[in-house]
Amino acid sequence: MSDPNGKHDELIHPAARPFLWLDAPWLKSSMIWIFLVATLGLVAVDFVHHRHEYVELAEFYGFYAMWGFGAFVLAVMIGWWVIRGLLGRPEDYWDGDNTDEEGQS
Amino acid sequence: MIEALYDVSPAWPVIIAGLLAAAFPMHYVRKGLALIAPVLAVFLWFNAPSGDHLGGIIELGGFTLETFRFDGLSRIWGLIFIIAAFINALYGLHEKDRIADASGLIYAGAGLGAVFAGDLLSLFFFWELTAISSVFLIWGARNQAAYKAGLRYLAIHVLSGVLLLTGAVIRASETGSWAFDESLSIETLGGFLIFIAFGIKCAFPFLHNWLQDAYPKATITGAVVLSAFTTKLAVYALARGYAGTEQLIWIGAVMTAFPVFFAVVENDLRKVLSYSLNNQLGFMVVGIGVGTELAINGAAAHAFVHIIYKALLFMSMGAVLLRVGTVKASELGGLFKSMPATTIFCLIGAASISAFPLFSGFVAKALTLAAVAQEGHWMVWLVLVFASAGVLEHSGIKIPYFAFFSHDRGHRVREAPVNMLMAMGIAALICIYVGINYGVLYELVPFPEAALYYQPYTFDHIVGQMQLLLGAMFAFAFLVRMKWYPDEKRGVNLDTDWIYRRFLANTLTWGHAMFGRFWASISNLVSGVKSRTGGKLFEVFSPIGALSRDIPSGLLAIWTSALLAIVLLIAYLSP
Repeated sequence: MSDPNGKHDELIHPAARPFLWLDAPWLKSSMIWIFLVATLGLVAVDFVHHRHEYVELAEFYGFYAMWGFGAFVLAVMIGWWVIRGLLGRPEDYWDGDNTDEEGQS
Repeated sequence: MIEALYDVSPAWPVIIAGLLAAAFPMHYVRKGLALIAPVLAVFLWFNAPSGDHLGGIIELGGFTLETFRFDGLSRIWGLIFIIAAFINALYGLHEKDRIADASGLIYAGAGLGAVFAGDLLSLFFFWELTAISSVFLIWGARNQAAYKAGLRYLAIHVLSGVLLLTGAVIRASETGSWAFDESLSIETLGGFLIFIAFGIKCAFPFLHNWLQDAYPKATITGAVVLSAFTTKLAVYALARGYAGTEQLIWIGAVMTAFPVFFAVVENDLRKVLSYSLNNQLGFMVVGIGVGTELAINGAAAHAFVHIIYKALLFMSMGAVLLRVGTVKASELGGLFKSMPATTIFCLIGAASISAFPLFSGFVAKALTLAAVAQEGHWMVWLVLVFASAGVLEHSGIKIPYFAFFSHDRGHRVREAPVNMLMAMGIAALICIYVGINYGVLYELVPFPEAALYYQPYTFDHIVGQMQLLLGAMFAFAFLVRMKWYPDEKRGVNLDTDWIYRRFLANTLTWGHAMFGRFWASISNLVSGVKSRTGGKLFEVFSPIGALSRDIPSGLLAIWTSALLAIVLLIAYLSP
């Protein structure tokens, strides 16, 4: 089943072949710029159109973009440092075997 | 309309089909029952009279059981439970497991029965039936870990049922009422116990970990089935009994936030979805706590769309588990090359749960957020917006990215079976249809008049939501580029289950050992006392004891005289 070297391309599903560019290194490296430009473009809208919100704070320019960015970074950092750092344990912690988290049909 | 069927709850055909499935060894008959039962149920749902209706009344042992209450709240929950039952049946069509077929149907029917229950006794019956029938979906995995998790799941859910019954009895003794309605209150002991019973099933903070413990260990189909009914039944029960209870606002807010941190570093993608489920329940609980018509509409709409997109995400991970044999993020990647259709369905589920415009989550979550903001709970609102970015992190990005894209691990597997693809396709279609034609959903909610005034597709809302999502997506790309995004590695993270799986278990083991030693000490002491006392008695009374020895007659005579003197003295002085 496994093909770590990716040599057996004939096993790729025909419907997926037109989308192999999704795995291209250039796309992965340019994702940050695509999202940055899109985010800045949406923030720019705030400067030409005043959003009306129930919460006054949310009417600040680019509020949602900043909150989304900050929330994401905060969630990742707390998850990484606090949850994994303090509460992370080896996979066999519970029952002495590695089947604890595996479901089967 | 068939008036004769006004008393028949849509739960009964599903439960009866489950009982029949338990008896039939031919799997195609069972599958036929699983597909037909929801069709019969939806017929009964459509057949129910318009307006509030109370039917299916059963007199039993002096109690009046109301098995078919059909009103604005039970209407939407009933329909989505029926839809979920059908999709689940389709998804599990390839499995040949009689116990799973029967328990899945009985569980779905019990969920429906609870939704349509009009009194607390009927609710209790169906409440316990959901617990007992659903545990077989966990045990169906047939491994030691699933067996143990199933036992823990059953114990916690039976406890929930016991609390529900205790609370109902106390309330009935105080008020004489078994009504399951808005008259429930946490101010009374009975009402408080019922609230905790609902809270356990709803996975309140600190009562939540049965969910993340059991669901990832269930069978492939079992996890999909489980994700639909139990927790949403609890949300329904809270909406029915405790709408407007302010404590729910912050309970819900905490529920939306804390699972995000656990989901970020969780390696098991079905467990990530379980944390995500907990987070989504938080939105509904907040809506119920706010309690306005718009907020209750938000909770109901959210439950409706959530059941579908969460099932879709669980279905896609189930397909991955079936084909690859694991859902560990550390072992997955690049699966879009092998499973393109599953990838697309998963992306639709991810877009829906993340509330992208044109997907179902967008039109449902907006109601709750608007209601929270309108009522001036701006801190809670900020927490919910934070949690919305968190949803994007774990369900919108992590699930599809690490399973289908990221590093290509070289898995070249077959696409999911046709029945699985059909089930995922229907769910995906509903996600998009409801997202675009949101009026259908807004007409189904408990207060359609309030919902129809709400416009989700305003320019401001779309811009704000897209800012939030793209800002969060930029954060993801930024963290990955800077190598500040945690790598996926095998391991487990402790949660509140540590308290009972490790601390309490070790305490009990220690207590048992200590009791054994204590008992041994007591036994030693008793036997020591016994032997010493016995020895002394033996020394005194035995044939060679002190009393058997020859005693000088003079001494005996002195003692006899003294005793006689005492007796005479007493006789003389007594009146």
